[in-house]
Amino acid sequence: MQITERQIDDFKSDRKDITPPLPVVLRLVPLLFYCSIAVAVILSSIFAIQFQFAVQKRDNHKTMTASLGAQTQDTRSQRTALEAQIKKATDIQNWVASSRPLQPLLLAITRSMGPRSSIVDLRLDRETDNPSQIKMNLSMGTDSTKQLDLTVEKIAALNYRAFSPTQTLGRGELDYKATLVHQDPLGRQNEEAPR
Amino acid sequence: MNNKHIACGIVALFIVLLVQLTLWVQGNRTKVQSEASAAQDAETAANLQLTKERGQLGDLRRQSTDLIEFLRIWQPYFTTIDNPQSAEVNLSMLIKEANLVNLAQRFEQTPVKGNASIPNTMRATLTFEDDYARLLNWLGDLEVKMPTVRTSSARLSKGTRANDLRMEIILEQPLLSK
Repeated sequence: MQITERQIDDFKSDRKDITPPLPVVLRLVPLLFYCSIAVAVILSSIFAIQFQFAVQKRDNHKTMTASLGAQTQDTRSQRTALEAQIKKATDIQNWVASSRPLQPLLLAITRSMGPRSSIVDLRLDRETDNPSQIKMNLSMGTDSTKQLDLTVEKIAALNYRAFSPTQTLGRGELDYKATLVHQDPLGRQNEEAPR
Repeated sequence: MNNKHIACGIVALFIVLLVQLTLWVQGNRTKVQSEASAAQDAETAANLQLTKERGQLGDLRRQSTDLIEFLRIWQPYFTTIDNPQSAEVNLSMLIKEANLVNLAQRFEQTPVKGNASIPNTMRATLTFEDDYARLLNWLGDLEVKMPTVRTSSARLSKGTRANDLRMEIILEQPLLSK
């Protein structure tokens, strides 16, 4: 079947006003668009990978910091417990140091008495504020100071040192007062174990 | 402005959006990297703190070895009697066992100054009149058997009989805080 020329003309509309082409600079815009897509994808991928690494690193550091904090806290608790133990040990040591038996001292004093001497009254009192210091108050029935010298010598043999000694002799009785302080000959603390 | 110009504008807008998106991703990365760096600094500081604390604990342990050993040896003696009732019963039993002539005895609980671990003591004020040797031997035995007991005061004077001695003593049994 043949189409007439007139019928073909009907399919084509007349194009009177064709839009002018874009300037050269604006023609680069689509090209720039494609380039920007490529660059954005590449850079965003790199940034995303770096982001993931940084997140992992940050979380690892945070976990490690928390673990170190817990260990520090545990160490502090141990230190506090140890300090409490030290305080207790110091208190007990102070008590033990100021609780040295008095019986050897009493025994030494009574045994030091010669045949012509006797103890009228012997008093040993620990000082309230400093119990390691002992106030000694001795009244002896004697007629000479030689007995006192012997008694003081026996006391010194037990490593007690007499401070502020005073003596009064009169009518066959001698009064001796002193403050006794035990001194370890080796300068050690009282560390020996109980027997 | 024709359609081509409008299309160009839209494409340019898309380019700006892509740049903004890329900058946003970069900003997030930089922010997290800063956080990671801060976390690393915090870890370093925590590590230093731990090293310091451990060092101090080690020093304290070394310095207190003797004291802790002292405590280990002596503490059982203090914990054996830790209440006023048992202290009183124990001392009464020791007096009774010795069969000494006991003229007077008084027990009272007294506070101890400046000793937080031993806040109180059971104080026994005792008066005896008996043989010289028996009394002093008893006191010696007591001080050995009960090493924690402190003889706060002792007074010796003549007794009524020739070989007798009058002894007034104050004994203090420490009561360890719980």
